[in-house]
This record gives sequence, structure tokens and C-alpha cells, in this order.
Amino acid sequence: MLDLALKDLKEHKIRTVLTALGIVIAITAIVSLGSISAGVNELVTSATGSIGSDTILVMKKFDLSEMGGPPIAYQMEDIKKEEVEEVQSISGIKRSVPIISKQLRGFFEVDGLDMDELDIFGAQDLEFKEGTWPDNDEEGAAIGYVVADTMDVGVGDYITLNKKQVEIMGIFEEGSGAYDLVVIMPYDYADEIYETEGAATQIMIEPEDVSLVQEIKDTIEEEFDDLDAMTMEDALSMFQEMTATMNVMTFGIGFVASIVAAIGIIITMYTSVLERRRQLGIMKAVGALRRVILKQILEEGLLISVVSSVIAVGVSFFFVDMLNNVLLGGSNLAVITPALALGAAAYGILLAVVSSLYPAWVAVKTDPIKAIREG
Amino acid sequence: MKKNLMFDVRDVWKIYSMKGVETQALRGVNLKIRKGEYSAIIGPSGSGKSTLMHIMGCLDTPSRGTVFVDGKNVSKLSDDELAKIRREKIGFVFQAYNLIPGLTAAENVSLPMRFAGHGRSEAQRKAKELLRKVGLGKRFEHKPNEMSGGEQQRVAIARALANDPEVILADEPTGNLDTKSGREIFELLEELHKKTKKTIIIVTHDINLAKRTHREIRIRDGKIIG
Repeated sequence: MLDLALKDLKEHKIRTVLTALGIVIAITAIVSLGSISAGVNELVTSATGSIGSDTILVMKKFDLSEMGGPPIAYQMEDIKKEEVEEVQSISGIKRSVPIISKQLRGFFEVDGLDMDELDIFGAQDLEFKEGTWPDNDEEGAAIGYVVADTMDVGVGDYITLNKKQVEIMGIFEEGSGAYDLVVIMPYDYADEIYETEGAATQIMIEPEDVSLVQEIKDTIEEEFDDLDAMTMEDALSMFQEMTATMNVMTFGIGFVASIVAAIGIIITMYTSVLERRRQLGIMKAVGALRRVILKQILEEGLLISVVSSVIAVGVSFFFVDMLNNVLLGGSNLAVITPALALGAAAYGILLAVVSSLYPAWVAVKTDPIKAIREG
Repeated sequence: MKKNLMFDVRDVWKIYSMKGVETQALRGVNLKIRKGEYSAIIGPSGSGKSTLMHIMGCLDTPSRGTVFVDGKNVSKLSDDELAKIRREKIGFVFQAYNLIPGLTAAENVSLPMRFAGHGRSEAQRKAKELLRKVGLGKRFEHKPNEMSGGEQQRVAIARALANDPEVILADEPTGNLDTKSGREIFELLEELHKKTKKTIIIVTHDINLAKRTHREIRIRDGKIIG
């Protein structure tokens, strides 16, 4: 008798709206926060997936706990030129590519590397929407779609990097994963722009043979106290650890929001049952079985939760859009995946139905005589 | 057990206990009502007449004693078993009408039919038919607060007839009405009995109304006195 449940919800609009509001807030919190985790996950997977599995990444040692924001926003310390050369001289290395990586507007990254070694960076197959790669001796940069869109620039326009004007020579196709958020330029030009004097933020190393990966990694860590050497496997597990921490935080906040929402649902539904005690008594007096009463209260919970969850997912899309444009510099970092949206909506529905169980039980226990006499 | 008995109440006691103090609302009531009887239970306030009606109507259970409704012992049944008997065999008319405020007249009348498993449209159609029979052919879509007391009680009578029960139990059906409306409701119940030969029991403290039924059952201090 869904029509009776709907009629009752309509009769008590304020109560219904307040109950729904609790669910909307909880689900919006879960989806919005979850979208950042999902986005970072996608980004990391696409970035690490395009780099060879035998590649070793060398960078200055850092502490994960010092990272305040998403990994891309963290500015690593540079490895000095002399140290770069020492690393490059280790035996068993087929090739080593120093890369200057600098933050741009918090969520973009500028990478300067040898344009002939793009494959080690996983960028060799990128397709261009407009223009192409700069040559090693050219003063220009190729940029990601989101960077171009956010800065509103096209090929031939200039962007400012470290107070210097840099010409755009190419823009990657939309949907290039992590490369949507980067500016790539020749190493020498980046060295000039950022005045790094031959230093590198990271060195990507390809060993002569896959079997040498561990040996080279161990040598670097033994000989250089201030450097970390990571295989792609290490890098992936580090990022996975970070996203797992974000997931725990997301679901922790979501869980607290759900508890608050659940208490809200229980209170409003319980109050509603008390308010309608006489009505429930009449229903029982004219022959409603316990399961009919139980079903009606649960149906009310279900109706509220379905509508609120759909609204919450809609509101989340709006929130995430705002989050990407206002807080994340137009980066599209936060992503609502279908699994996240459906999972959160299903959770909201389950939450409301479970929270309705106690009020429904109170309704079922209504004594018709007492309810009719006392109202 | 005689087959023509609708109610057989045997040595029924109802004792309420509040904060250690016991109140005996019914004290060993014995009563037989035949099928098709049109009777009144009459007694002053607090005599136990409503309690007796609630027990006979399966809204309550006795503390001691046995009640048979149409040959079935209902004294120890579960909530749902009692609800089924109420739904199928008994229609109630209360003093305060007890209609659901948010529902229209037709929806109120259709409710017992919905609980009995009838579909919404079928129940609505039958509800409108019943409302026409009680003289409310033009009030289907009105909510209780849009109707007079007399009209609300007519809706309650239509609702009591919804599942075509064998018994109508009316607890002070004219108690909240003015003289004219009260007389009309009483006449409606009389006419109903004439036409359908249903068992109708009216609980009242009005001796004049009780006299118009075929049998007066007098109750005082929880005991049948005549």
C-alpha cells in the first residue's frame, strides 16, 4: 500500500523534508569526498600504467605524512646536478632521464625532460588536439587539455611559468588521463625557466636488464642517504597506500555523517509514529495485521530514502563540479564514478530502511484500545 | 455450542493493574448473543460496558474466562489472529468516529478492504457504493474535517460494513452527536438490521435508545444485572 505511505508523507511535509535532508547531507558528503579518492585512484592508475614496469624512479627522500594535499600538489626537493651525474654513472643503467618537475597553481605539474626520451615518461603516444611537441632546442611547451582550458590558452599563446613567458606549441587530446594536468617542455628550457642549474626533481632509470632493477635500487639507496629509489611497483603501492588513507578518511567522515542522519531518521520517524498513534490504533482496530503496519512505516522510510538519495547524487555532481572548478583549479580531479554514485545511493536507501526498523516496531506494538482512547 | 450463537461470553473478568492497584472492570460476565440479534448493552459510565464490547469485538482479551465468537474461542489468540477476526467478522462504530484525518471518506471506508487484500480501485468502488447506501453519495472526496459529526459517523458505519461482517458493534454511536443527528444514526442502524439481519450490538447509556432495540442487556459494576 505504497499509496498510503506516500499520502502520509505528503500530509507531514516538514517532517518528511527534515528526514530527507539528513540523508541528502550524509550521501552528498560520502559522494563528494569519495569522488576525490576515485579521481586520485584513476589518475594514479593511468599515470603509472603508461610507464614501463622495469623503470626506477629516483627522488629526494620525503615523508608521506608531510604531504598536506593530493600527491600532485606536493613540491619535491631537487637533486643537485653533481648528485644526478653520480646516479647516472651507476653500472647496469641502460639510460637515465633527469626530469625537472614543478608545481603549477597547486594542481598542475610542469615537467622538463629530454624530448627524445618521452617514452620513459609514458608520454610518447599522446595524441594532440592541436600543435605538437617542442623540439629539444625549442623554447616552448606542450600542455594538457585541462591546463589549456583552465588558463584559456591555445597554440601560439603564452603562459607564465616562474614569471617567464612560455609559448604553447601543442595541446593534448582531451581525456589523456594524468597528462590532462601537465605541462611538458624540453629539459634545457625548463632548467632555464626555473634556474635549476642542471638539477632534477626526479631521475627515471631504465636498467640494461629487468633482473638488474633490484640491484640498482639497492645501490642507490645504499650510496645516497638522501635519495629514494622506487620501482614502479613501489610507486604504485605508495600511491595505493595514500589513496587507501584517503578512502578511510572519506568513509570515516561518511560514516559519522550516516550515524547523524540515521539518528535523525529514527527521531523523526519515531515522533511520527507517536503522533499517529491514534491512526495506527484505528488501522489495527479495523483489521490491519502487524506486517501491514510494519510495511507501511518501512515503505515511508524507503520512499524518503529513494528520493533523497537521488537528490543527493544530483547535488553531489553540482558539488564536485564546484570542487573541481573552485578548489582544484579546474582540474577534474574529483570524479563521480557510476559505482560511487550507485553505491552511495544504495547505502542511503539501506540506511533509511534500517533506521526505520525501530519506529516501525514501535508502530507494530501499538495497542489499538489504548491508542484510540488516549489518542 | 449452539450454532446460532454469535457471542458466548463465559465468566469473563477484566482486571487492570496500575501501580499495584487492581481495578476489576468486568467481574464474571456471562452473556450469549444469537446471530442476527439487535441488542443494546446499557449501563452508567464506568460500568464496564465498553470493556465488554472491546473484548467481544476482539480488540482486547479477558484476564480470565472465555469468549467464543461464532463458535471460535478468541480468548487466547495472538494479535494477528484477533485482527483477522475483526477484519472478517466484526465492524466497529466508535463514539468519536475514529476516521483517519488525512484520508477522504472513500479512502477511510476502503481501508478495511485494502487490509483484507482487495486492490485499491476495487476497494474504492465498493467504498463509494457503501457511502451511497449511508446517504453520502456526494461526499466521497471529503476529508473528515470537512464533514459534520453525523456525516462522519455515517462514514464510520460505511467503514464498519466494508468487509460485509456478520456483526456490527457500536460504542456510544450517538454520544458525540446532536439529537437530530443521533436519531438519524440510530435509524440508520435500525434500517441496517432490518435489511441485512446482521448481529448489531449498541453500547449506550441512553435508556430511550436502548428500548428501541430488541434486547436490553444491563450492566453495572462489571456485572450483567439483567
